[in-house]
Amino acid sequence: MKKALLLTTLLTLPASAVLADSYTVDPDHTYVSFAINHLGFSTMRGKFNQQSGSLEYDFAAKVAMVTIEIDAASIDTGHTKRDQHLNSPDFLNVAENPTISFKSTKAGWNGNKLDSVTGDLTILGVSKPVTLKINSMHCGEHPFSKKQVCGFDAEASIKRSDFGVNYGLPALGEVLDLQIELEATKN
Amino acid sequence: MDDFLSRPEFQSAVIPFIVGLLFYFGLRKLSAYAWGWAVFSAFLVSAILINGFTLTPLTGTRKIILLILASFIVVALVRHLITNSNLQRMLLPVIGVAALIWVFWKILIRMGFLGTATFLAGGVGLLLWLLWAFDRIGNDDVRLHGAGFSLLLGTGLAVTAGASALLGQLTLSLAAASGGVFLAWVLVGKASGSSSSSAVTGGFTYALAAALLGLAGVMLARLPWYTLIPLAAIPSATGLVPKITDSRFINALVTNIPGLIIALATYFWVWRLGGASAGY
Repeated sequence: MKKALLLTTLLTLPASAVLADSYTVDPDHTYVSFAINHLGFSTMRGKFNQQSGSLEYDFAAKVAMVTIEIDAASIDTGHTKRDQHLNSPDFLNVAENPTISFKSTKAGWNGNKLDSVTGDLTILGVSKPVTLKINSMHCGEHPFSKKQVCGFDAEASIKRSDFGVNYGLPALGEVLDLQIELEATKN
Repeated sequence: MDDFLSRPEFQSAVIPFIVGLLFYFGLRKLSAYAWGWAVFSAFLVSAILINGFTLTPLTGTRKIILLILASFIVVALVRHLITNSNLQRMLLPVIGVAALIWVFWKILIRMGFLGTATFLAGGVGLLLWLLWAFDRIGNDDVRLHGAGFSLLLGTGLAVTAGASALLGQLTLSLAAASGGVFLAWVLVGKASGSSSSSAVTGGFTYALAAALLGLAGVMLARLPWYTLIPLAAIPSATGLVPKITDSRFINALVTNIPGLIIALATYFWVWRLGGASAGY
């Protein structure tokens, strides 16, 4: 009975999850930022100050799965009243939707190089597929902690109206350029 | 045309005011509930301009829009099917409380017991107080609709100052719709067939909309909860000034002065609490 249960469990797990190394996102060295056109005059930038997540990564097996959860209320554009407005029902509605999340579903490889990660981005409770373009990635031993660390720089562009963030359109830009710089420490 | 329709002042003031005014003129001789259908129509147009046609995701704000529109239909049905005013007085608060819980459910389930209890005590208390206060002036169309207009105006301005332009626009559009219909009523009189038996239902939409939008300003934006207290006094305040003539126009102006003063003073208070800083 126990053997049957163990076999069933192993068979239902994706083989990649069994083989890949697990990493926990280092919130002190992970940055999620964005840029948006402001009324046609200039580009407004902002970031989120609190995020967490995990990374499953195995270069040899070509496995890369990433989950990021962002505290929507931690948005920071350098202006308190603007941040309060962004938290309101006009934009992120953080009281009802406190978390923005990205959960990958597949990884794109270009030879031996991780090229992209596609997954579901959820904002305001609406999930849409988004592909993060990986600009650089490196895994290795941290020189101080001696722990195995993986990190990447990624970017994507989304249309906020796809997620129901419609206020201020078309005057306030529709396209949001996302940048994610992530570091994760092996468990 | 798109530029015109996308401007907040047209979406939330000019268009609902004109639509409300014209619809009341058109419906006055056709329906005893002309006031309700005129405000309903004007708010519907405004809500579509502000929110668009989409209802997904079904946020608290969109639930409020649906409930305000539904409240007119509920009132029409209650007036038609339930003529006993005591039964109306029992049913409408139940509907109102259910609406309140539905709007804020996503937030309530994440709050602790104390937070939920505090919100329900305050929110339900506010709603029941407003229903009672409007019921007391329900037989007097001048005070009823004047108080409704002032309450929505004050709530809309306060919510806008409390960091949600969207909630503010919706509230102000309802205020403008009510104002347009009120002006039409002042000019041409009440609808054919309207009677004092509808007094209980007269203030339901005002009370429900002001409670939901004001509480949304507190829970979803940054409106301080205590700023709802003076606003809640508006229906009672309109009863302070006695009528001095038989002129609808003069009575409409005079009896609603206290309500307008409270509305504007509350807005100024919220604006000052917010730091009185300029926009960004």
